[in-house]
Amino acid sequence: MPVGFLEGVGYLLEHYWPLFLRGLGTTLLLAALGTIFGFILGMGLATLHLIPKSPQETRLQQVGRLLAKGFSRLYIQIFRGTPMMVQAIIIYYGAMRLWGSWPALLAGIVVVSLNTAAYIAEIIRAGINAIDKGQHEAARSLGLTYGQTMRRIILPQAIKNVIPSIGNEFIVNVKDTSVLNVIAVTELFYNSTSISMTFYRQFEVFFITSVLYFIITLLATAFLNGVDRRLGVRSVVGIPTSATVPFPTHREDPQ
Amino acid sequence: MNQPLLSLQNIWKSFHGVPILQNIDFEVYPGEVVCLIGPSGSGKSTLLRTINRLEEPDEGELYFQGVPQLHSHTDVNVMRTHIGMVFQSFNLFPHLDVLANCTIAQQLALKRPAMEADLIARQYLTKVGLEAFIHAAPASLSGGQKQRVAIARALAMNPTLMLFDEPTSALDPEMVGEVLSVMQALAKEGMTMVVVTHEMGFARQVGSRICLMDGGKIVESNPPQAFFTSPQHPRTQAFLAKLLR
Repeated sequence: MPVGFLEGVGYLLEHYWPLFLRGLGTTLLLAALGTIFGFILGMGLATLHLIPKSPQETRLQQVGRLLAKGFSRLYIQIFRGTPMMVQAIIIYYGAMRLWGSWPALLAGIVVVSLNTAAYIAEIIRAGINAIDKGQHEAARSLGLTYGQTMRRIILPQAIKNVIPSIGNEFIVNVKDTSVLNVIAVTELFYNSTSISMTFYRQFEVFFITSVLYFIITLLATAFLNGVDRRLGVRSVVGIPTSATVPFPTHREDPQ
Repeated sequence: MNQPLLSLQNIWKSFHGVPILQNIDFEVYPGEVVCLIGPSGSGKSTLLRTINRLEEPDEGELYFQGVPQLHSHTDVNVMRTHIGMVFQSFNLFPHLDVLANCTIAQQLALKRPAMEADLIARQYLTKVGLEAFIHAAPASLSGGQKQRVAIARALAMNPTLMLFDEPTSALDPEMVGEVLSVMQALAKEGMTMVVVTHEMGFARQVGSRICLMDGGKIVESNPPQAFFTSPQHPRTQAFLAKLLR
């Protein structure tokens, strides 16, 4: 391998592009599936959190409601309160211990989905809370049930408003799936490490890696801004920060 | 006299220990137009919202068409389909066009087929003079138009009772008239209405009974002629005196 920086980069691209590309593909797969499943699970968690108190509530219904709310809170607290890298190890090796070996890629998808669900649940909950309560009252005054009101009146508005934040979660996932190298998921970071181990030329290898990450997040940002403009919602400004820091669009409730 | 359409008995309601409704007895007979007036915080809106149970009273019973609603297993949603409500802030559904605003509850709550709901919605939108706007987004309408859509949305359910919660308070002065005239036409057709309002002219002309509320109680309840010309209660006299000044 040549000694100079540019020559080194050129050499690596020439000989290792398939490995970089495969890593990038896995990273995108993890980020996309993680965001989609995270969205579905996050909807469920937000729903559990927001089950309303009915006026003629029986004792059993009350216990069920509080348990659901407690579970949702605890789940969100745990997954936002621990690093995804640690979650990956616990889930991958924990499940392996209980049920035997399983593919690291599958484990990676599970980890990202479970982690993203916690963040998206909070985004959706904030989105629902941000809808004027007059919407709820108008729907209920017309005889719609709570479920119909949520599905047909509140959620369509709330989801539209939080699409930029969901897009942010995808971009965050593109970057944060790099931690899955600890369970040997062959995403971009893991493959880059492998290549760099061959030559001990970390700088050149990770220069390429960072450019690839950057291109993807840049494209995703541009795409999402386009989507937001079409939907007529406020636009994302730039590439967001890491998921380990709660995003400013999350409206925290005082607990 | 015939059966009251609506009857509230011994209704108590407080928010965080502050009493808002104190032992309210209130009846509405078919065809009546009852106007609730009074100072802010007197409990007018809370009383109105108790009628369709957007607020649950702490004590008392609510009869609708003779059926007790609170201490039984009647479905609140069934009662609500019979009671239309119009809000101060319109509360149109912004993600649906004008027509869909008027059909969604017909389809979901009354299970009317789409074609029938569509027909009925168009009929009431025509009635409020908005047939040209059926595919408009609510955001593109003026305040007066929004409120007329809200009235059509409620009427499309073919309610037996209409509740109005300060329907003109959020409107530009020029748009108050168009909403009041729709309400007046409705009253003329014999619709039973309970209206929380600050529009004394409307109360006087259209109301069949005026109730003054103060401190969570109905202080005086009389036909407009008696209410405005010979108020009985000193609180009513004071209220009217301030209005005239």
